Amino acid sequence: MIGQVFSWLTDSAHWTDTPIDTGIATQLLAHIRFSLIAVGIAAAIALPLGLLIGHTRRATFLVAGANALRSLPSVGLLVLLTVLIAPHFYGRTDIGYVIPTEIVLVLLAVPPILSNTYAGVDNVSPAVTDAAKGMGMTERQILFGVELPCSLPLIFSGLRSATLQVIATATIASFVPLGGLGRFIYDGLQQQDYPQMISGGVLVAALAMAADLLLALIQRSVVSRGLSGRFSRAVVVTSTSERTEVEAG
Amino acid sequence: MKHKFLIAGATAAALALTLSACGSSSSTSGSGGGTIASKLIMGGPPEFKTRVDGLPGLAKNYGVSFGKYTVTDTGGPVTVNALKNGQVDAADLFTTDPSIAANGFVILTDPKANFAAQNILPIINKAKATAGVTSTLNALSAKLDTAGLGALMVKVVTDKQDTDAVAKGWLSDQGLATTGTAASGVKLTIGSANFPENALLAQIYGEALKDQGATIKYKLNIGSREKYVPALKDGTVDLMPEYNGSILQYLDPHASATAPDAVLAALQKVLPSNLIVLNQSSAADSDAIVVTKATAAKYHLTSIADLAKK
Repeated sequence: MIGQVFSWLTDSAHWTDTPIDTGIATQLLAHIRFSLIAVGIAAAIALPLGLLIGHTRRATFLVAGANALRSLPSVGLLVLLTVLIAPHFYGRTDIGYVIPTEIVLVLLAVPPILSNTYAGVDNVSPAVTDAAKGMGMTERQILFGVELPCSLPLIFSGLRSATLQVIATATIASFVPLGGLGRFIYDGLQQQDYPQMISGGVLVAALAMAADLLLALIQRSVVSRGLSGRFSRAVVVTSTSERTEVEAG
Repeated sequence: MKHKFLIAGATAAALALTLSACGSSSSTSGSGGGTIASKLIMGGPPEFKTRVDGLPGLAKNYGVSFGKYTVTDTGGPVTVNALKNGQVDAADLFTTDPSIAANGFVILTDPKANFAAQNILPIINKAKATAGVTSTLNALSAKLDTAGLGALMVKVVTDKQDTDAVAKGWLSDQGLATTGTAASGVKLTIGSANFPENALLAQIYGEALKDQGATIKYKLNIGSREKYVPALKDGTVDLMPEYNGSILQYLDPHASATAPDAVLAALQKVLPSNLIVLNQSSAADSDAIVVTKATAAKYHLTSIADLAKK
């Protein structure tokens, strides 16, 4: 079976489009597009909201409320929204199916981003914010100059788990006539073409891992060294040798 | 610090590129040598792409190859909506689907029998098939046709009318609601599969036989063939409405007959010994290529063969 999956994935005919079948390349791009739009919208909603709730420590019930959204069954909601929304769009457009899919994915991505951002800001030590206040920083400066950088590790962890969940769940777009890597899973099941089905799953997993790796790299370069404690060897070595020189001298 | 902005900038640029590439990838391309079909988008279930009577069958029997195929669902709401709103031009639906009548869709005829016949017929325990029962059911099957059954399904599915009342209404409309004694003294248990059309047919059979004096007990919505065929064999159910193509495929997975009479002949050879089938009606619930009224008028379509014209 592993051999069949490998040969399915490496067959160049499966990567290109024909009038009947859409290839892996196009479906991969479609999958990335659905996921990016969903995570983008979710971040635009949840990041400012999380920062605000964390900074003011007001309306924390919103975080609990958003977490309750996680229990919504995605497929059921997708079908319900499609039945409500799709009949309003006519002609050669898939927008009537894209909107329900994105709503479902955004609802899935908001809770982890919101609760992690809130928790990140909320967990900044009061000693740090007090010191900032003592230095005469304004509320805005404290939020963006102290609390935001200090909570970046948690914010990134929320963003990463939201991205993983969205990429994995975007496969349900194939329940309504949309593309994405879920197409191979759903079609493979119906056509009893199991190598195709497993290949779809493998591709989704690979995309999720690649996205997580990318976010991890961004996180590495964005989060302050003072928080992550990661100093390059060169810096450490230079400073110790300098110190030795100083001590020797 | 500069390093940080460089990475952020590069990431943003990569994302923008990806998005713009996605935007341009949705264009469609046609092939098939300028036939009507090559200008159309076909919608249906995923397995229709590979099924013997799906796209391969349409190409083999009619030389029809569509410009594009969009996977929707198996004769469900997504397919109906996509056809109605123009996301697809032709769709694979079932011939008695109430949405066909409700939306004025046109069923393209299948003269070369690409889709196996699915004529409705009663399957009955030999011991219960008395002359009176047989003549009552045969008279009923003679009046049942696909359009008529489709209209009844609109009443059941769309208008949410009681199936029992719809069954009685149809019998009296057809002049079949006459009381008699043809089936008096016969006790029958009538079963049905678990979908509305089959339950309605079971009640049509039941009401007609009741009028002729039979004692009827219903076991509706039993489930799939894996459940009710054994019940027919062991006599817990005496009578069921069936579809000749599907029951033949169930009893003989290698059956290749597609025309109604050939299917019936093949079916009679593989039936369990205690069961017989009575006359089949012209009503059929098979796969069909369906187009909107506007598309049919625009390209003068009445048969699947018309799709291969230039």
